[in-house]
Amino acid sequence: MRITLFLFVLISFTSFGQKFTISGSVKDSLNGEDLFGATIKVKELSNVGALTNSYGFYSLTLDSGNYTLIIRSTGYDPKEIPVTLDQDMSINVELNIPQDVQEIEEVKVTAVKENDNITSSEMNVTKFDPKSIETIPVIFGEKDIMKTMQLTPGVKSAGEGNAGFYVRGGGTDQNLILLDEAPVYNASHLLGFFSVFNSDAVKDVSLYKSGIPAQYGGRASSVMDVKMRDGNMKKFDVSGGIGLISSRLTLEAPIVKDKGSFIISGRRSYADLFLKLAPNEDQRNTKLFFYDLNAKANYRLGEKDRIFLSGYFGRDKFGFSNIFGFNWGNSTATFRWNHIINQKLFSNTSVIYSNFDYEFNIGSGDEGFGIKSSIEDWNIKQDFSYFLNNSNNLKFGFQGIYHTFRPGALNGSNESFNEVVLDPRYALEVSAYIQNEMKLGARWNINYGLRYAGFDLIGKGNAYEFDTDGNVTDTLTYDRFESIKYQGGFEPRLSMSFVLTENNSIKLGYNRNYQFLHQLSNSTTSSPTDVWIPSSNNVKPQIADQIAMGYYQNVKSNTYSISTEVYYKFLQNQIDYKNGAQTILNDLVEGELVYGTGKAYGVELQIQKKKGKLTGWISYTLSRSLRNFDAINNGKTFSARQDRIHDIAIVLMYKLNEHISLSSSWVYYTGDAVTFPSGKYEVNGVYIPYYTERNGYRFPNYHRLDLGLTWYMKDSKKFEHSLNFSIYNAYSRANAFSITFQENEETGNTEAVKTTLFKIIPSITYNFNLK
Amino acid sequence: MKQFLYIIGLTLVFSSCQKVIDVDLNEANPVHVIEANYSAEDSTVNVRITITSSYFDNNPSPEVNNAVIEIVDASGVAIPVPFISNGNYMLTSYAPQFNTEYTINVNIDGNTYTATCVMSDPVQLDSITYQYFDGFFGSGGGYTPLLNYSDPAGESNYYQVILSRNDTTFNTLDDFFTQDDQLTDGNYVQRPLFLKNFYQLNDSVHMEMRTIDKRIYDYIDQAQSISGSQNSAAPGNPTNNWNNGALGYFSAYSSSHQSVIIQ
Repeated sequence: MRITLFLFVLISFTSFGQKFTISGSVKDSLNGEDLFGATIKVKELSNVGALTNSYGFYSLTLDSGNYTLIIRSTGYDPKEIPVTLDQDMSINVELNIPQDVQEIEEVKVTAVKENDNITSSEMNVTKFDPKSIETIPVIFGEKDIMKTMQLTPGVKSAGEGNAGFYVRGGGTDQNLILLDEAPVYNASHLLGFFSVFNSDAVKDVSLYKSGIPAQYGGRASSVMDVKMRDGNMKKFDVSGGIGLISSRLTLEAPIVKDKGSFIISGRRSYADLFLKLAPNEDQRNTKLFFYDLNAKANYRLGEKDRIFLSGYFGRDKFGFSNIFGFNWGNSTATFRWNHIINQKLFSNTSVIYSNFDYEFNIGSGDEGFGIKSSIEDWNIKQDFSYFLNNSNNLKFGFQGIYHTFRPGALNGSNESFNEVVLDPRYALEVSAYIQNEMKLGARWNINYGLRYAGFDLIGKGNAYEFDTDGNVTDTLTYDRFESIKYQGGFEPRLSMSFVLTENNSIKLGYNRNYQFLHQLSNSTTSSPTDVWIPSSNNVKPQIADQIAMGYYQNVKSNTYSISTEVYYKFLQNQIDYKNGAQTILNDLVEGELVYGTGKAYGVELQIQKKKGKLTGWISYTLSRSLRNFDAINNGKTFSARQDRIHDIAIVLMYKLNEHISLSSSWVYYTGDAVTFPSGKYEVNGVYIPYYTERNGYRFPNYHRLDLGLTWYMKDSKKFEHSLNFSIYNAYSRANAFSITFQENEETGNTEAVKTTLFKIIPSITYNFNLK
Repeated sequence: MKQFLYIIGLTLVFSSCQKVIDVDLNEANPVHVIEANYSAEDSTVNVRITITSSYFDNNPSPEVNNAVIEIVDASGVAIPVPFISNGNYMLTSYAPQFNTEYTINVNIDGNTYTATCVMSDPVQLDSITYQYFDGFFGSGGGYTPLLNYSDPAGESNYYQVILSRNDTTFNTLDDFFTQDDQLTDGNYVQRPLFLKNFYQLNDSVHMEMRTIDKRIYDYIDQAQSISGSQNSAAPGNPTNNWNNGALGYFSAYSSSHQSVIIQ
């Protein structure tokens, strides 16, 4: 704490001469989208410059004089603007996409500036935009930004066809996933085979693995910040795609040219429509589909004010005839107001709504009953950025979230059942932060900050106390808004880089994160029914401390970049179930939990080729993720499920000519840790497995090759279209989705049975864009 | 064409496949497995003692024939349970006292294992009804029996239900049905019980409803969740009522029966 205060005092105030400020925005000249992370450099002064924030706003303060500004953003032609600075001024810049097509279709995975990976203080933040990944092959040919993230070091898929992911040994619930600032609680469709992010509506995605900036908080492992596109400010535009599994359509247009625009993007899968053709009525009545809709509008109210309204609505439906039905979905809405208070102070106010719910229905008519559960957030967030001077950019703000958990309700006309409504639970999550991005001389970039996070579980409701066997010893009743349990703490954050030369640098990061919401998951795949529970009188917040260090090098004039990172993470108050815990419709679920600690450490290497006809990367991670619970495995340390020791990804993209690009990705990782029996015994005529240790065994190692070919059939300026062919699991490796130990029904012998989900899957997708 | 599209659709959705594989497993130290049942209806205590074996060993489980067993009632009176044959021990004509706790002590080669269980009052199985269901994915339909009973209000009750079809009794672990009254306390309960195959016309249905101890209910649930092709992410041995690390369980239960012929 004292150290942090000391650092704030360090903020370097430079000379006291006559100074003026240039501010404004940087946009794409074709569609008017804001460009985030564009650089504004001064030709005459080395080491002076500014970056645009996520709304495209920048501010730069200089002594009076004559300058040339150079504005750059990856994928755009740079622009030079001469300036005579004798008063504060506003300069809005529009950048052009170069005419030479070769340039734009190059992969631009990281760079804002070619060696930005070296000079920025951000510790291994991974940024993608959908354009850069469109040729990478994925399952069912549906480009998916979350799947592509899983090919980068330190980020691991939670399993075959699963949109969940692990970051540096953390659990799938430890990733904060934000869509236009709104938290998304379940980011997967079709039981995990698709992510909820429709690439057509996504502007860019940033994933923070360490040195997480103080403006983010609430989850222990990582932050995935997804920004939706604003919509074309200049003209009407239609784009879409038709695939084997799903189709997409996006409309965007100005509301008033250069003042406001909107975008609507929808998607629906139709695998179930094939079932309609089935001969059997039950098959025809089987449902298995998802749809989602992204919509966003923005409007500039004047020079200083702009408002945004964005929303997401998605739903999955799954059902067999009248016997069983299951549906779930997220909805989010974000209202934002950007206000330029003055040339140096930028404000954003957001009001955010987020909801996730699922519903089961079993049977119909008099026999039917249903179970519903949901989590709902109302969120107010205020952020300021203050461009103090060219060396210090302060950000500060606060946030309040009102959570409502409805863990379950049972209803229906089946008279056997009593109506059951578990008590809803309420909580108030508050936070405040301040951080400074500081340049210290030519070599140091330091981003330091402090966040305070607090969580108050409040009434109305009951709180239970349990003995060690999970039996209730006391029940306490609380009134509306009465505090049941308040927990919170400070989260110091630090991310710094030391530039050795313009081609290499060293970075260091530390972060502490509190997590107050916990997902209880007990199945192999992430399931929509995984329960989220709040911290309470029984459940302490999870705390993660991570320290990370990296060395970055660019070679051959930034054609290749090489990064090496090491990290160590310590996790407190981790949660697991007791054996046989009942999680659905259980008011007393907290009595079924056990607590422990975890640690994760590893080395991540990546070599990336960023220019030329052949681009791509090779990444390798060597890591461990271990857990220690008194009540599990006799108190001995055991591997977390995601304890994959080796993890390799090789992604290659080759641009054959103007019309054809080829791509491939190959992944290999050590099989997940898993519990297998070390013996068997007979109970009521059936053999059941005898277990001696938790996660003491491994699945077979996983590997898979995917291939893709994209054929751009460029017809005219008004119409672009392309065909994408992809092959998932090209050499048809039978990877294990699960291994079950069971008695053979015919012979009665016990055997191990491996289930493989997907062998080779070819697919084809047609994409178009009508301008 | 229709058929073709349908096949493509199904292939994409369900292209999974299964294969028996070799897995190199560790050898656990052998542990005693004690299954003890005290049926109030039969006034009989049955105990079977075996030993764990390696997972891929397809010989029958080794049996323990030298155990010394006694059952003790709530007032402390101990009666021996004599050895019969092949790991089985049996005591007959042992009249139950409902709502009292029984203790079993088992001594094997100097190791003593103890378990307790409460003998619950029987709850009357009211009747069996049945209902026709369509088959899943083209398989034939058929009848499924419904359990009907009136749950006693204001107390926690746990049930284990065993079905028979004609001469076959489905009395293995995987075929047990369990039922609690967490959501149905005090109600008249109707619940369909689905076996792997449907009943057909003229089949006779027999149903035994046992009132069991909560720990046995939990044990069956947990044992079922790791048996068969069930797939639990963090599987563990079911929590039982034996001390000293023995596997298995001791259940004292009362029963009620009904029969019907599907017409």
